[in-house]
Amino acid sequence: MLTYEPGDSVGHRLDARSKLLLQAAFAAAAFGHTDPVGLAVLTGLTLALLALASTTPRDVFAEYRGVLPLLAAAPAIESLRFGAPWVDPAVAADPALAAYRTLLLLALVAAYVRTTPVRESEAAVARLVPGKPGRLLGLGVGLVFRFLPVLQADIARTREAMAARLGEERPLRDRVRLVATAGLTRAFSRTDRLAVALRARCLSWNPTPPEATFGRVDAGALALATALVGWAVWSAAATAPW
Amino acid sequence: MIEVRGLTHRYGRGEAGADSGDADGPVSDGDAAGSTALRDVSLRIPDGEFLVLAGANGSGKSTLVRQFNGLLTPDEGEVLVDGTPVVDDLVAARTRVGMVFQEPRDCFVAATVARDVAFGPENLGLSREEIDRRVERALAAVNMVGRGDERIDRLSGGEQERVAVAGALAMEPSHLVLDEPFTGLDEPARESVLTHLIELNRGGTGVVVVTHDLRDVLAHADRLVVLADGEVAVDAPPAKGVDTLGDLPVRRPERC
Repeated sequence: MLTYEPGDSVGHRLDARSKLLLQAAFAAAAFGHTDPVGLAVLTGLTLALLALASTTPRDVFAEYRGVLPLLAAAPAIESLRFGAPWVDPAVAADPALAAYRTLLLLALVAAYVRTTPVRESEAAVARLVPGKPGRLLGLGVGLVFRFLPVLQADIARTREAMAARLGEERPLRDRVRLVATAGLTRAFSRTDRLAVALRARCLSWNPTPPEATFGRVDAGALALATALVGWAVWSAAATAPW
Repeated sequence: MIEVRGLTHRYGRGEAGADSGDADGPVSDGDAAGSTALRDVSLRIPDGEFLVLAGANGSGKSTLVRQFNGLLTPDEGEVLVDGTPVVDDLVAARTRVGMVFQEPRDCFVAATVARDVAFGPENLGLSREEIDRRVERALAAVNMVGRGDERIDRLSGGEQERVAVAGALAMEPSHLVLDEPFTGLDEPARESVLTHLIELNRGGTGVVVVTHDLRDVLAHADRLVVLADGEVAVDAPPAKGVDTLGDLPVRRPERC
């Protein structure tokens, strides 16, 4: 399950804001270099960043096994044609590269979530976006990161309960309906309890944030982010019509 | 007969069970890549036996019983139900071994009592008449007759526990496994659930109660098995077993 895991990797030592900026810069570079060479360079960078965050490519594939079929479906659907020859593989190349680019971005997101406590993400967003919108956004980020794993665990328990009484013998459509119904019921129940728990512990719009530390390793991350943005801008300038 | 042979189970890093918040998560063995919940566990549970499986939080109890009907698969060793490896026939294992989870809400897949109790028999492909008969019988066994149309989420904790038991009983299992069935129940509800378990056992159903608190159940048990750090630390008749508990962190009865 995609959630924070304590550790002492370089990724763990980075300030959350550095990691967010690095991701944004990486996204810019990925959108600026959609050719195979550019994506190959970004693949190498992704693997290096994953290693620095103690996250393996296997972890990433395990986290996104539900998303991978959707990414693979995009180029497959694009290649379909109404009429002969029905399938045109040549037009699937661009969507395939775009889907691959998305996978690289998701890999970085996985590394971020694994190395960043929810409280730090919340504080980083609140610091990056000034004023009440930032605090609201930070609170929303915190709720999503805290609530989503709980909902995932609830759905896993529902599936286990079904399996224990041979629910796997039912047709897929029936199983999906049962899991969805039970999942929604539990989600609403969880939401009610979460609301009570937040009120009981004096939910604040302006809580004391965790201490922000900007070290030497953050300087390296920012230098890399600057280089990536520069690479993206250079690519945009090179392909501009003027 | 449930037979466990040389069973070892490890959780990977971040795997469900390792961080699911269950009271009985796996033992940490300092392995950064995961943790070992069970180490070379062997056990035989004859039909009709009332077995108490005890141990501290994290001793591997829940991990062990989830192997009885194939909800977890061992890394080493095997589990057999009536001589057949669980992995070879999951349907048979899940029909023979009924499971009630620690949190009753985790057992429910339908909104009303009768719909939920009927879930298992429906999956066996039985006729509607047979399903209705099983539902009535299971509800009668837990004293919930006539309450089939009630919404589960409006029942008390003790009643939810009994519905969860009924859901497992409707499969007509030879063994009923209950993971911490008394947690969160008040005294009358505990007594009610325990009374029903004793009656079921007298009727021939094997009962396995997973607990860290021996006070309620031990007097009714045929055998006590205690897990510590993923290994069997005690396996003896209750009276003898209690004397050998030593420093094991389980809540013991004042008198057995």
